[in-house]
Amino acid sequence: MITEIRTELLKVRTTRLSYGLLATGAGITAMFSILESARAGAGGANAPDPLYTTSGFGTVFSAGIWGLLFAAVLGVTVSTTEFRHQTATLTYLATPHRNRVLTAKMAAGALTGTVFGLVSFLIAGGTALGFTLARGYRVPLGDATMARFGVGHLLAGALLAAIGVCLGALVKSQLAAIVAVFVWAIIIESLIGGLFTATRPYLPYTAATNLAGTTLGGAAFGPAHTTTASGAPLPFVAAVALLAAITAALALTAAATTTPRDIT
Amino acid sequence: MAIIEIRGLAKRFGPVQAVSDLSFDVEQGMVTGFLGANGAGKTTTLRILLGLVSADAGTATIDGRAYRDLPEPLHTVGAVLEASGFHPGRTARGHLRAQAIAAHADPSRIDDVLDLVQLTEAGDRRMGGFSLGMRQRLGLAAALLADPEVLILDEPANGLDPEGVRWLRDLLRGFAAEGGTVLVSSHILAEVAQTVHDVVILDRGRLVKQAPLAALTEHGDLEDAYLNLTERQANR
Repeated sequence: MITEIRTELLKVRTTRLSYGLLATGAGITAMFSILESARAGAGGANAPDPLYTTSGFGTVFSAGIWGLLFAAVLGVTVSTTEFRHQTATLTYLATPHRNRVLTAKMAAGALTGTVFGLVSFLIAGGTALGFTLARGYRVPLGDATMARFGVGHLLAGALLAAIGVCLGALVKSQLAAIVAVFVWAIIIESLIGGLFTATRPYLPYTAATNLAGTTLGGAAFGPAHTTTASGAPLPFVAAVALLAAITAALALTAAATTTPRDIT
Repeated sequence: MAIIEIRGLAKRFGPVQAVSDLSFDVEQGMVTGFLGANGAGKTTTLRILLGLVSADAGTATIDGRAYRDLPEPLHTVGAVLEASGFHPGRTARGHLRAQAIAAHADPSRIDDVLDLVQLTEAGDRRMGGFSLGMRQRLGLAAALLADPEVLILDEPANGLDPEGVRWLRDLLRGFAAEGGTVLVSSHILAEVAQTVHDVVILDRGRLVKQAPLAALTEHGDLEDAYLNLTERQANR
């Protein structure tokens, strides 16, 4: 299995798309981090609270969700690129046991997803810290909380990327799977979370962003978006378990349906 | 000794019976030409043999085992099935590095096979800019990376210039002369006649004939023999 994972990691490292996705996620994270930091405490209906407050500081952290979203997209590309460029033939010639390939891709996607999570954490956290200290405030979060957010970013990036790999294995069309990621994260979860607030903690993208320190509703768009805590997110371990269970369910579905299909 | 054995193979895609009750052997140390019109079932047979397509009935084995049961498949079989199976954004060398890891092949072989297929200078170029002939050569490089005993090639001469066709012929004959086994499908009968030892002819998924090339061309050239056999099959 180590060989298969090394092969998949090399494939990720030797394509420009991976770096493009990382750069895009990092760029959008940086843009929103700076924007929210600059607006924090400025007053007005939609401005975040000041950076010396937990909610204001946390709002800046919420910009890291963009990097996590692109981790899921990276995961999609890890599996769908094989079908887009017809390289699945070579992959399955090297490793005829296809579930090993799927497992290796999930592992490679997850490892790469942690890089996306780390970059998001460093950008969002660094921006929040920089603006907070520059304005002469005390950082409102303790070291333990910051560390939990950091670990949360890594785990969320890894699990979202693994989910993306499985989604790509099921859908196979790269464009359709990437559109599905954005539609799910931006529209469907916002709609479901807005209409049925009790379901919010259990929505996968929301749970992933909660791991990374975003408040419940902080990652939603439109009327469902709230920057202050409006409910209890899942406990850290429960959120990890939920995302791992979703990953496993998607992987088992792909292994039973699309993965065994003929490569013609 | 037969190293590839096909027995009673059948495969249907929806309404199309791609392969029917197909049986033939490929002998070790021989180049065997796999001939048939478009849609005759050649590619389907090769893909079943390589574990990429599941058969409805029958068996296809290499060295007595199904492809997926080979302990080190790329050390046993090198295959080139399609020249388009490359990521256009990856360099040729990057592609071979990934293949070398997957095959447990010595990375130093990358330079050897690039040299063998005359792509050393293009090794660091992205494959999106490669011609069809270059992609065919790179496919062969990847197939040869783990020094396999068997080569399975689907239309490898497509896109090669005359010099490349001659190079391929010499490569395949040399591979067989050293004890390797080659199963190669092709439409170019004149080229096949200069390359292969044995011929397997397929028509609409069924075996028409398996014979040594010398026996088939005893009373004429391979093209005449092929057309006579396939027309006779069609009239049945």
